[in-house]
Amino acid sequence: MFMNANLFEPGKSKPERVFVQSAAKQNTRFDGRKTSEFRDVKLNFGADWGTVTVSMGDTMVLAQVSYDIGTPTSARPNEGTLHLNVDIKGVSYLDEAQATYDQRSLTLNSLLERTFRSSRCLDLESLCIAVEQHVWCVRVDINVLNHDGNLYDASTIATLAALMHFRRPDVSYIDDQIRTYSERERELMPLLFLHYPVSVTYCVYKSTPQPLVDPTLLEENAADSIIVLSFNSYQELCTLNAGGTAPTNVRTIMQCAHSAARRSKALVQFVRKALELDMEKRQQSKHVAGLIDLLDGSLSKFSFKRLMEQEQPMEVDAVQPSQASRAESEQKPEKMTIEEQSQAGQKPAVKDDSSWLPEGNDVTQEQQNTEQIVKENAAKNTKATKSKPNRGKNKAGKKQAAAKKQNQSDSEEEATHII
Amino acid sequence: MSSALNIVMPGERITAVEDVAKGKRIILGPGLRRVNDTVVASKAGPLKHREPNTFWVDNYQRRYVPARGDLIIGIIKAKSGDVYRVDIGSADSASISYLAFEAATKKNRPDLNPGDLLYARVLNASPDIEPELVCVNSNGKRGKLGLLQDGFFFKCSLNLGRLLLRENCPALKALTEKLPYEIAVGVNGRIWVKAHSAAETVGLANAILSLEQAGHSEIDKVCDNLGDVLQA
Repeated sequence: MFMNANLFEPGKSKPERVFVQSAAKQNTRFDGRKTSEFRDVKLNFGADWGTVTVSMGDTMVLAQVSYDIGTPTSARPNEGTLHLNVDIKGVSYLDEAQATYDQRSLTLNSLLERTFRSSRCLDLESLCIAVEQHVWCVRVDINVLNHDGNLYDASTIATLAALMHFRRPDVSYIDDQIRTYSERERELMPLLFLHYPVSVTYCVYKSTPQPLVDPTLLEENAADSIIVLSFNSYQELCTLNAGGTAPTNVRTIMQCAHSAARRSKALVQFVRKALELDMEKRQQSKHVAGLIDLLDGSLSKFSFKRLMEQEQPMEVDAVQPSQASRAESEQKPEKMTIEEQSQAGQKPAVKDDSSWLPEGNDVTQEQQNTEQIVKENAAKNTKATKSKPNRGKNKAGKKQAAAKKQNQSDSEEEATHII
Repeated sequence: MSSALNIVMPGERITAVEDVAKGKRIILGPGLRRVNDTVVASKAGPLKHREPNTFWVDNYQRRYVPARGDLIIGIIKAKSGDVYRVDIGSADSASISYLAFEAATKKNRPDLNPGDLLYARVLNASPDIEPELVCVNSNGKRGKLGLLQDGFFFKCSLNLGRLLLRENCPALKALTEKLPYEIAVGVNGRIWVKAHSAAETVGLANAILSLEQAGHSEIDKVCDNLGDVLQA
């Protein structure tokens, strides 16, 4: 049963909006979740390499990776290409107004482009066969099958999982001849990643400072603004998409960023774990799910809640062997303390996250010699003044992140790093 | 009403109804159609019969087809000229005149804005023209019709709407024992509820939505669950 099967989407009428706003204020959500609670993410791999469905509640997204040998662009002759294509037509009945649908798919497309292409998460140089002549063109088709909010997270998880699951055949290039080896001749090769980005979505309401995480369509439509943050597993920010009309201060964004970073890391771990289990499954039996099985509920799916429950105790062991995550293990002690604090209770954690804020505001106020500006303005100014001078620092900052995080007064610097 | 579950598919010739028709005059309800001398189903679902002579197919549907006299809930989409455009979940949007409200005159117009909810009656509906709504009865009084304020609003299947609108519906009765609430149900599969607190409203809405899948036997269970939820 899908609530949004009628012509008019949920969350478009005034009573719905008013109700969701007031419910958010009272910390109540329609599906009984807490403000910071996510829906379970279910992952399912198809028969082909790089076919994945992701479902979060009623939202369902299918991602399919395909490949081709093509010519590179003249600007980057030694890099393969990654093309992302979002198809939201499956749910175009959602709103009769073409504008919404167009805007929706544009936003989604740009988010995915920035998360996966601009952040250069794939090692595209490894996709080069012959410079200026032949490269691998990887294409990801994202099909939205049902929309019950938070398409952003569902599609980024689906894209990431599909790319990680994908295998391409090996090729050799001798005497201007490309030879593609079949699966029997040589083993298929996975794509090489530089980092693993995943997005986390928050809804902000004017009625409450507490943002709602993983919104449903009703909550999304009733929201004043939506913040989408993409983090990779090393907790580096890849994309920040904040729009809408709710006055969002730095405190809220930082609070979101902190939890989004943790969540992204857990999600990437979940995808890795699901991939491992899938590999085991493939080695054991020949039968793998087809498209119908993929969409059908009957198949046992990899559920985030179930997998990560087991994962918790062995988290440290699982992460350390991988060479890439060295930075991560360095950050570990500090991060654990954050987690402990947040577990200790929501209010203290919130306070702790924001304890640096007054200082930050004071600094900017001193710099600008302005007084009596409202808090929101202060927040905006913080963004405006800090972003430019620190831009150079940001790039260097990424590598220093581990060092920065070790002292307690790090948060202010981290804010500039993120903004 | 016959309890025997007899599922028919669209295009299926229904001889059982034809047999009855030989003896007496019968009424074909929604989902049944007369083609020459045969009776053919046009929708899928259980065939229902009410004594003495009415037959219809109770199919699962979410798209509303307007019919004269229906009580529906609509969302104001826009003002245009001297009518409001209202979305009622049908293929075409409906219209309601400024003057179709209690005590409305040319000078004294009702103040409605896009997004507002309206409980209204369908004045006329035909396949060829836009459905028209009114918020007054023939005496010019509003009765229960008009703007719905506050509360929460959601959509469901037309079947669930009809189930709730049935005379002495067991579900609503059982819910009444648990908590006081206001409800407006449109036959277009739209429900508006209002209880004292947000938590109660959420519980109520979820309980009603869960009836969608539940059979008659499960209604009590759903209502009991609601009681537990509200106490917690």
